[in-house]
Amino acid sequence: MSIPMVDYDRFLFAFTIGSHILLVSLSIGLAIMICAVEFLSARSKDKYYGALARRLVRPFVVSFGIGTASGIVMAVELVNLFPGFMTLVSKTGVISIFYVEIFAFFLETVFLVVYVYYGKLFHGRYTRWLLTVPIVVGTLLSAVLIVMVNAWMNTPNGFDIATFIASGNTTVTGVDPWAPFLTPSTGYEVFHVLATVPLTGIMMIGGFFAYRYHKSSNPDERTLFVKGLRITVALSLVLVVLSVLSGILQIENLYRFQPLKYAAMELNVNPGTNLPENLFGWLNGTTVVGAIQVPGLQGMLSNHANVPGLSQYPSSDWPPLIIHDTFDTMVLLGVLLGLFLFVYAGLWVLKRRPFDSRLLAWGFVAFTVITTVVMELGWMTDELGRQPWIVYNVMTVSQAANYNSDLFYPGLVIIAAYLFLVPFTFWFMARVFRSKSIEVDLAGPAEGTDVNY
Amino acid sequence: MSTINWLFEINFAIFSVFVALFLTELMGGVLLLLAYERTKVKVLPYIVPIWEVTGTFAAFWVVTADFAYPGMLIPVASLFAGLIAVFLILFVARNASISFAELISKRGWVDERKLYQAYGLATILIGVVVLIVLSAIVSGAGVNLSVSPPTFSLGGWVTSSGSLLYVIGVVVIGVGLAPVFYDVAPLRRLSLFLTVVGVGIEAGALYLYSSGFLSAYFLVPALLTILASLLYQNRSTAPIVSHKLVFALVATIIIFSTSYLVYPTAFNGGIGVDSVTTSGPMVGAFYVLSVAGAVFVGLLMALYLTAVHRAARAPGSPASSAGSATPNSPQT
Repeated sequence: MSIPMVDYDRFLFAFTIGSHILLVSLSIGLAIMICAVEFLSARSKDKYYGALARRLVRPFVVSFGIGTASGIVMAVELVNLFPGFMTLVSKTGVISIFYVEIFAFFLETVFLVVYVYYGKLFHGRYTRWLLTVPIVVGTLLSAVLIVMVNAWMNTPNGFDIATFIASGNTTVTGVDPWAPFLTPSTGYEVFHVLATVPLTGIMMIGGFFAYRYHKSSNPDERTLFVKGLRITVALSLVLVVLSVLSGILQIENLYRFQPLKYAAMELNVNPGTNLPENLFGWLNGTTVVGAIQVPGLQGMLSNHANVPGLSQYPSSDWPPLIIHDTFDTMVLLGVLLGLFLFVYAGLWVLKRRPFDSRLLAWGFVAFTVITTVVMELGWMTDELGRQPWIVYNVMTVSQAANYNSDLFYPGLVIIAAYLFLVPFTFWFMARVFRSKSIEVDLAGPAEGTDVNY
Repeated sequence: MSTINWLFEINFAIFSVFVALFLTELMGGVLLLLAYERTKVKVLPYIVPIWEVTGTFAAFWVVTADFAYPGMLIPVASLFAGLIAVFLILFVARNASISFAELISKRGWVDERKLYQAYGLATILIGVVVLIVLSAIVSGAGVNLSVSPPTFSLGGWVTSSGSLLYVIGVVVIGVGLAPVFYDVAPLRRLSLFLTVVGVGIEAGALYLYSSGFLSAYFLVPALLTILASLLYQNRSTAPIVSHKLVFALVATIIIFSTSYLVYPTAFNGGIGVDSVTTSGPMVGAFYVLSVAGAVFVGLLMALYLTAVHRAARAPGSPASSAGSATPNSPQT
């Protein structure tokens, strides 16, 4: 049995980006945490924040190094796996977005290098904090720009689409090099990603703190974890609220600009008015079975009484209907995450010391995993929901793919490498976080990191 | 009168900076593999911070190449899909090994030395893959552009006269210039010998590819390369040429001066570069972004170099030569 190369290309890229976003979300979370901790350290001169900054920098260096590699793997894979797509990208303003992305990458890299390796040279606590701000800006800007590309793939603009399709995907005319920076869905997608990706990264750090608090018997170390946990819970709480708000806006975005994806996510067979919300379930022929139907909920969430249905479109254009389940699971787990965070923060406000509870600590760890699953499901829903198109209603994945079978075995090696590297990287980051004793980190200078050379 | 293809020139300039930085890493990788204990004091303080900047320049070049040559993306993906995938595997190995090496504490048989040497090996292997692709783009060796999609045969490349010499020549030059860049005085004489031999091998490789490659243009990179090693022989000029910034600039100029090998035609006359370069409104966008980006990156690099300079002048710095990058020492 042979696998069609187009499916192999699709799987290889999905696997790579699925792994990459795990590293990136943690990198973004770490950058935000380091910036926050440096600020608190500068303001309060609390030695625990200084120690926390020193400890967070070590895993950040690792995540940056591995994240950079996997980012470049993705950039090159786009050309290697989908040259037809990248040719269109390169002939339109989308490549301008990639170009600007490089400058965001430079911003992050240079300030990271200066902060980590030459931090000693910069005196003054606020100066050190200021060095971390461009790192956060660079990491977030990188994420924003990549999402702009994704938004363009969902709602393409900036060239004459009708002429391009009529020419058999060969003639690109009417190019506006700047239009892809702002497609109809850009704002919606950027808002959602700016809330959910940092949330995932910060929850990862929070889960680690909650777990380590119970593993440690050192009072100083426990104090450090509580202070870290307080920051992660506060940030997560804000971000989970923003995730819900931006998620609701995303539904509006899909309703307006990708109605077929909307119909598939909601499992609406036919268009209609005041349709019920189908919770889970599947399509058997033209009938929805196994779903819990909640009358009125769909209209309330989408803010529209009339909603589209799958029957309005040829079935060859339908995305895989599993996106209905990935979407529902994402929403369900996201709601549970929000409830958990509100309970946890509420207990803290009431001075009930939730961090002392082993049950809540394990709950935090579980919700760290759940947050990651939610992010991956959200990404799957978005990407699978656009299938069979790579550029919505313009170019299919089959038209864009590379059919060269030379990719097969190196691709397997890439998959094997990631299967080892990603878990190992997380393990290694956890290890280097505590590579020095708490006494050393509390007493150590506020600058620099512990680099072997 | 022919006009200058500024998109090509800008892209090749970025390529030259990337390759120059990568070469300095490659030379360090060779020293780490061959003489870790004797050279680590000179090599690691440079490599540890710069590898992240090199990676950024690699991405910079990839994106500007995508931007400048949309007509080349499908042929390149068809030709070099396998090699590009191998490059990616090695690139991940490079970043992973050095990231872990920077922070690992001794655990079992894995220590920082083994990881830095793994980084060195991965970097050298990346160099070999890049050289295979570059030599194929220069010479067309192993490449068949007459079929659709075009194909590349590694066997055809190996058996093509000049290909192996091309790689060997660059490696010998790299080993020859390594003592210059890292200021390893005991290897001074060997450096000159290897550099001259390397340039000679490279000349032979290019001649075997096509006698047209050995034009007057070849004298510029050849003489500059030998001059760098020659200046290192003299005690008064050695500090100048082994200055990190000066060397990187000279290496960039040397690489940039080889652009005649791929312009106006690449693949030994197989593809006209102008015919695959972007056109229309995208050209203006390329210029605007390139100029704005150059200013921005220039400011960032100025900040970086200022930090390097201040670190080298800081009290207690072990920097032994001007321009040595000396980041924070380990804090224990």
